[in-house]
Amino acid sequence: MNPVLEIDALSVTFCGKQAVHAVDRVSFSLGGGEVLALVGETGCGKSVIAHAVMGLLPGEAQVSGRIVFKGRDLLALSERERSAMRGKDCAIVFQDPSRALNPVHRIGRQIAEPVLIHGAGSREEAHRRAAALLERMGLSPPGNYLPLYPCQSSGGMNQRFLIAASTILDPSLVIADEPTKGLDPGRVHEVEDELVRLTGGGRTALLLITHDLAVARRIADRIAVMYAGEIVELAENDAFFDRPSHPYSRGLLQSLPEHGFVPIPGSSPSPVSPPPGCRFQARCRDGKAVCGGQHPDLVSAADGRMVRCWQCR
Amino acid sequence: MRAMDALKSTNRGAMALLAVFLCMAAFPSLIAPYGPSERSMPYQAPGPEHILGTTNMGNDILSELIYGARISLLVGFASALMATGIGLAVGLTAGYFRGALDEVLMAFTDVVLIIPKIPLIIILAAFLRPGVGILILVLGALSWESIARVVRSKTLQVRETGFVMSARCMGFPPLRIMASDIVPNIVHVVLPKFMLATAAAMISEASLSFLGLGDPSMESWGAMVSSAFTKGGFIREMWWWYLPPGICITLCVLSVAAIGFAFEAGEGTTVRVE
Amino acid sequence: MSLSADRLARAYRNGFLPGSRRTVFRDLSLTIRPGETFGLMGNSGAGKSTLGRVIAGLEPPTAGRVCFHGRDTALMNRSEYRAFRRSVQVMFQDPSAAFNPKKTIGTSYMEVLDLIGTPRPAQKAVIAGILESVGLSGELLGRYPHQISGGQSQRLALGRILLLDPEYIVLDEPTSALDVSVQAQILHLLKELQSERGIGYLFISHDEAVVRFMASRVGRIEDGRLVIEGEA
Repeated sequence: MNPVLEIDALSVTFCGKQAVHAVDRVSFSLGGGEVLALVGETGCGKSVIAHAVMGLLPGEAQVSGRIVFKGRDLLALSERERSAMRGKDCAIVFQDPSRALNPVHRIGRQIAEPVLIHGAGSREEAHRRAAALLERMGLSPPGNYLPLYPCQSSGGMNQRFLIAASTILDPSLVIADEPTKGLDPGRVHEVEDELVRLTGGGRTALLLITHDLAVARRIADRIAVMYAGEIVELAENDAFFDRPSHPYSRGLLQSLPEHGFVPIPGSSPSPVSPPPGCRFQARCRDGKAVCGGQHPDLVSAADGRMVRCWQCR
Repeated sequence: MRAMDALKSTNRGAMALLAVFLCMAAFPSLIAPYGPSERSMPYQAPGPEHILGTTNMGNDILSELIYGARISLLVGFASALMATGIGLAVGLTAGYFRGALDEVLMAFTDVVLIIPKIPLIIILAAFLRPGVGILILVLGALSWESIARVVRSKTLQVRETGFVMSARCMGFPPLRIMASDIVPNIVHVVLPKFMLATAAAMISEASLSFLGLGDPSMESWGAMVSSAFTKGGFIREMWWWYLPPGICITLCVLSVAAIGFAFEAGEGTTVRVE
Repeated sequence: MSLSADRLARAYRNGFLPGSRRTVFRDLSLTIRPGETFGLMGNSGAGKSTLGRVIAGLEPPTAGRVCFHGRDTALMNRSEYRAFRRSVQVMFQDPSAAFNPKKTIGTSYMEVLDLIGTPRPAQKAVIAGILESVGLSGELLGRYPHQISGGQSQRLALGRILLLDPEYIVLDEPTSALDVSVQAQILHLLKELQSERGIGYLFISHDEAVVRFMASRVGRIEDGRLVIEGEA
């Protein structure tokens, strides 16, 4: 099956007073209906990738490589063409989506808005689709929810409404950028349920950007771990959590509550001047001489996963 | 991005213009062809000796124009400084301490808001000898309310941030917290208000001088226009007498206001890489 | 030597009409003993942060009292209250707002030392010592808050609090805004410092796993009341 999204050697550098290498030759692909979790610390570059795909990077960003979405290289398109795609073919949901709702308009109007903007239907058609969407979400009868203002419903409900609004045009790709950051456990589950429902049909692929491994474990098909602008491990969900290969992946899992909050010492390297050799070497317990000297490539391991580590060969 | 560049070039143009006026105000004797008391033949039209002609008293109009810059800029900036000082003090106190003090100060601010400036100055001019000092005092004392409101609302915001609460927790005295933690973080809203207050004060001064209520010993731009009209310049169609000061007022106020707007809009943005 | 709340209540007025008070919590009592951690859980908006601020003296209670070393803080004289102020500190949730954005970290540190009267020549050594305890290097002192990461910011905030040598720290969601891996580092640092210095913590968080990891006694605020586990 052809992948919906294919990232090929994507690099993003921000040119300010110093050049910040946010993303360094990242490659991965996402199949239709698949959920890929991009996991890593703040600053590892995962959000930058999301913005690059959506074409939301600021002017001083230099992008190289290819982002192929449904066969078209997005980086070769004009802003107009990309703008036409946003909301329709690919949608993005940001952190705390409930804050993105306009408090002076009703929910129904805001959910229906993307339909009208993209000229995909008349006003009646748009509202009909909004109602149908709410029904599918399990909010029935929709007439109870459509006329509400955001202040009249709870934060969790608003988030679900906004995820609905982002996806009303059945985009092939949804990117969720830290959708559960800073939320209460109850709200985290609500957002998760909504994302699962979204991808359940097999028509919408989800690129989930998060630092929260627990969420990734519950809803992702594959996990890609990023560190200092690179992917260091890419594996199937079960295989990853049963036996993480890369020392950083292992460290991440150890720092989870269920494993006793064991910290990884030190902090990530500066994106301005990444160290030579393996970028995780300074914090790695199993480091050897070759790790400091030569930069490892992302290679396939025996069970089909990809790892970037001299120790894991 | 294009908007930001347009803003920057507007800013540069405005700053250059203001710099010209500041030079006129600071070093009039270097630029003006004649001194303020030098006289020659009155009512001359523009010519090689007097580029803008002469007044009814024989003073060179161009020199008067250059010397006049001092008054406008002095009154403008001085009263704005006073207004900003009072506004900062009131707004900070109200916003930081809140409660009863806040209510009282804001009620007082509302009262001051109602007082009309120009009629008050007219009445004061009737009783006191009009002068630059009085002008600055009155304009300054009546223009601080909107600054106070803006300062108060920003103070309320900044007060709730982590570092201010930490400072309170650590036992720093309130005055110290206001000066060291709050003020530097609200300067970016005060600066544009200061520039706009300057612009407003300059217009007020020009209007009052035109009405004859300004300082009679100093010939400001507004007074020049007034003289031109009352001393026979208008009848003689001496547009070179009343038009230049009017244009100067307009350009000076425009440049100050443009800088104020640029401060307001052009807040530095730092891109955070996530 | 303990820090305690005795039948504390906090309500806000919403306007001048009678009956427009919103009660955040009432009749709330708890004690934090030296060197131990009391964990406070509850949903967002339940009043955990408010309780933290009242206990630290940042907000006055509407009823009840806060007692430090057995003395009611509202009845303390000037020097007693100053001692209380120094000894009870708060660490907040948002790492990006922990420091004044217009000052360098070094300046923020030095002004605290100026406040407590440490002579200038001795300050450098004191700061170096604190930075070592929180596991950071001195080169961060020259940076501005927007130039440091969330984890570094929380460590530096902790370090600044330690300059005052407090007896108690109220930690208001200190790791909620941090990555999972950084959170683990901060939690361990907090535990280390507690065993080294005998500081008592009031640890507030909506994350139950984190609270149970840190605290020896746990309570939950619900509907304005505090329920301490192990007590009816």
